[in-house]
Amino acid sequence: MITHELIERIEGEAVLDFKTDKSGVVQDANIRFSHFRGMEAILEGRNALDALVITPRVCGICGHSHLIATVKMIENVYRNAGVSIRISDKANAIRQITLSCELIQNHIKWLYLVMLHESAKMLGEEPGVALKALYVSSQVNQLCALFSGQWPHSSYALPGGVTCDPTHIEVMQALKILSDVECFIRDEVLGCDVDAFAQAMEHNRVLSLTGDFGTVLRNFERLGVLEQGKSHSRFLVLGDTQEIIVHSQHSGAIAENVSEDSSQTFAEGGNTYAKNALYNGEFFETGPLARALVQERTGISALHRLYGDSALTRITARVDEMVSLCAEVRELLMSLDLSQPSFITPPSIESISGEGIGIVEAPRGSLIHRATIEKGKIVSYTIITPTQWNLGNGTSMIPGIAQKAMIGAASTAKASLLFRTFDVCSVCTTH
Amino acid sequence: MLSNPARVKIIWLQGITCNGNTHSFLNDPALGNFLESAEFIHHPLLPCKNTLKELVKKLPKSDILIFEGAYSASFERAGMAMETLLPALASKTSHIISLGSCASFGGIFKEGNPEQISGIVFDKEEEKGPLRAMREKVITLSGCPAHPKWLSFVIDMIVSGKRIALDEYRRPKELYGYLVHNGCLRNEYFEWKVDSHHFGTKEGCLYYAQGCQGPFTHGSCNKILWNEVSSKTRSGTPCVGCTEPTFPKSNLFSTKTYMSIPSEMPLGIPKRSYLALAGAAKSFHIKRLEERLIDDNA
Ligand code: SF4
Ligand code: SF4
Repeated sequence: MITHELIERIEGEAVLDFKTDKSGVVQDANIRFSHFRGMEAILEGRNALDALVITPRVCGICGHSHLIATVKMIENVYRNAGVSIRISDKANAIRQITLSCELIQNHIKWLYLVMLHESAKMLGEEPGVALKALYVSSQVNQLCALFSGQWPHSSYALPGGVTCDPTHIEVMQALKILSDVECFIRDEVLGCDVDAFAQAMEHNRVLSLTGDFGTVLRNFERLGVLEQGKSHSRFLVLGDTQEIIVHSQHSGAIAENVSEDSSQTFAEGGNTYAKNALYNGEFFETGPLARALVQERTGISALHRLYGDSALTRITARVDEMVSLCAEVRELLMSLDLSQPSFITPPSIESISGEGIGIVEAPRGSLIHRATIEKGKIVSYTIITPTQWNLGNGTSMIPGIAQKAMIGAASTAKASLLFRTFDVCSVCTTH
Repeated sequence: MLSNPARVKIIWLQGITCNGNTHSFLNDPALGNFLESAEFIHHPLLPCKNTLKELVKKLPKSDILIFEGAYSASFERAGMAMETLLPALASKTSHIISLGSCASFGGIFKEGNPEQISGIVFDKEEEKGPLRAMREKVITLSGCPAHPKWLSFVIDMIVSGKRIALDEYRRPKELYGYLVHNGCLRNEYFEWKVDSHHFGTKEGCLYYAQGCQGPFTHGSCNKILWNEVSSKTRSGTPCVGCTEPTFPKSNLFSTKTYMSIPSEMPLGIPKRSYLALAGAAKSFHIKRLEERLIDDNA
C-alpha cells in the first residue's frame, strides 16, 4: 500500500510517501520537499559582503551557521587570491562561542518540541508547552546576542573578524547565563550531573536516567523504536575545514569528493526540490552523531558499539553534544583575551577575485558555502546544507540516510518518528 | 475588545519563509504569560489545536491571523494554494498581523521572483498585495525578523481593545515612530561627525563609511533591545534597514557618498542644512571622541 504523510512541526514541512506490506511494515519511503526559494540565485550579482546579510535568511533556526559559513568562504576567497587576511584568536573564539550557542538552543528545542512532544503524543499522552525549555533556549540566544547583537539573523562576523568589542561585563553576563543553562541540562534534561551522564553512557544505563532525556528514551522504548532507525553507519564531518575526516575510513576526507545529485528534483522529472549531497558518490550521515564518533567521544562510541546508529545512539549524541558544547563555551569565555583586536581590516573586497569555500558544523551537520567572486561581486554561489546529506532521497536499491532508517519500521507513524530523530529542516534542505 | 479576552484564538500561518519570525517570537521571555491568555488554533512549532492538514480542511474562524513569510499565489501549504487559503482565513478573522518584512513588503524572498512574490497588503511600497481590500484589519510588523516584543505588544493592545496609532504602512507608531538611530550608543559620535574608522570598536558612528541605515530606518531596536541585551549597532554592526519596504538594498557594509558626504540623509534633514551643520561639527576636534573609551581593554 502507498500512503502519503505530511510531516509538520519541523522547520517547514515535508511529505513522506510510504510503501507498506500487508501488516503495515514500511518497505520503502520517499522523502519530498515541495518548497523552494532560490537563495543562491538571489545572491548572484551582489557585493560579496551582502551575502552576510542574505544567507542567514536561509534558515531561522540555523541562520548564524550560514553567517559563519559565508564569512569563512569570503576569507577563503581572499587567501586563494593570494591576499593575506588575519583574524585574531579573540575573534575566532567569539565566533565559536556564538556558533555553539546556536547549536545548543537548537538541540534543546528539538529535544522538547519535537522528540518529547511527538513521542508522548504517539503514546496517547497530551504533552504541554515546554515553556521551561523555551525559556532556557531564549537564555542561550541571549548569551549569543551579547556578542552578535541579536539572534536570530545577525550579521556581526565580517571578513577580518567580528564587529563587536566586548568588555568583561559581557563576559561576566555570558558566564552567568551559561551557569543557568548548565543547571538546566543537569536538573531537567539529564537528571544527574555530567559525570554521572558520562558513566551512564559508558555502562549502558542511559535508559534509567531520570531527566526529560530519559523520558524520551523510555517513550521510544515503549513504542518499540529505540533500537530501530539504523542506517548505513557511514559518517562525515567536514567542518573545521582543515581537519576533514570520514569516520568509516579515518582517511582525510576532502571537500572535492563532495558532489550534488539532482536526479530526484523537479528539474530532472522527479518530485522534490531537494538535491542530494554525496561523498565519493555515497550517502553519509552528518550531524551530532557523526561529530561524536569522529571526535571519538567515549560515551557515544560505547553506545554505537552496542546499538549501532539506532535512534538511541542518535538521540543521545545530540544530548551529549549539548553537554560538551557548554563545556567548550565555558572554556572559550574563560580564556578570551579581550585586549586583542576584534577586527583586522582586510584589503577592500572590490580588489578580490577568485573562488572560495566555507565549511562549518551547523546543528544538523556539515554546511558548505562555495562561491566565485569577481572584483568583489558574486558570480556564482552554492550552498550544501546538512539536511541534504541526511534527508537525501535515494532509490530502493540505494536508499538515503533517513530513508534507510525508516525502512523496516512497524508502521508509518513509527517511521515518521524515526525520521524526526534526524532533526528535519525543510527550509534548509531546499534553500 | 474581543468577545472572550481570556483566551484569544490565534492562527499562525506561514508563507514563503525561513521561520525566523517564529524563532524570534520563541525568545519572548513573557511567552508563558502570553499563552495563558492566548490559544493557538494553529502554530508551526508550538503545540496547537489543529494540524496544518486540519487547518486547511476546516478553515476555522480566529480572532487574530498572524501571517509570516512572503506571499505567492501558487505557494502551497498542506496542498492548498495560498491564493485560496490566505483570503479564506483572512475573511474569518477580525485582526491580521503581517509579521516580518517578507509578509509586509515581500522582503528577501521577493528578490528570487519579483513578479510573483509580494507582501500581503504591500508589494514593496505599493499597495497591491492580495489582502489590500482588507487593509483596515491588517497591522504591519516589518523587520527581518520582527522583534518578539513588537508582536506581544500588538496582541496585547488587540486583546485589551486599545487603539493602535499606525503609520502609512500600517506599522504601530509606538514601535516604528522611532528611528533605529534613536537610542544608539554611538549617537554622540554621529552628532560630532566622528567616523568609526573600522569595524570591531565601541567608538565612532557607522553612518559615514560602514553603511549604517539607522538614521532613516523606522524601528525601536535600540529602545526595545534584542534578546533583552543588545542590538546590531550596539554590537558594532550597521543597521541594514530591515524594517523598510526597500529591504534588502545592496552594498550594505559601505556608505555611498557624494563628495565624501553620505548620499542618503538622516530622515527629514535637507542636504544643504546637513552640509552646513556637518562643516561646523567637523571643525570641533573633541579629543575625548577621538580616543578609545577604555585604554586597556583587558
Ligand atoms: S551607528 Fe547608526 S544608528 Fe548609531 S548613531 Fe551612527 S548612524 Fe545612528
Ligand atoms: S537594527 Fe536595523 S537591521 Fe537591525 S533589526 Fe533593527 S531595523 Fe533591522
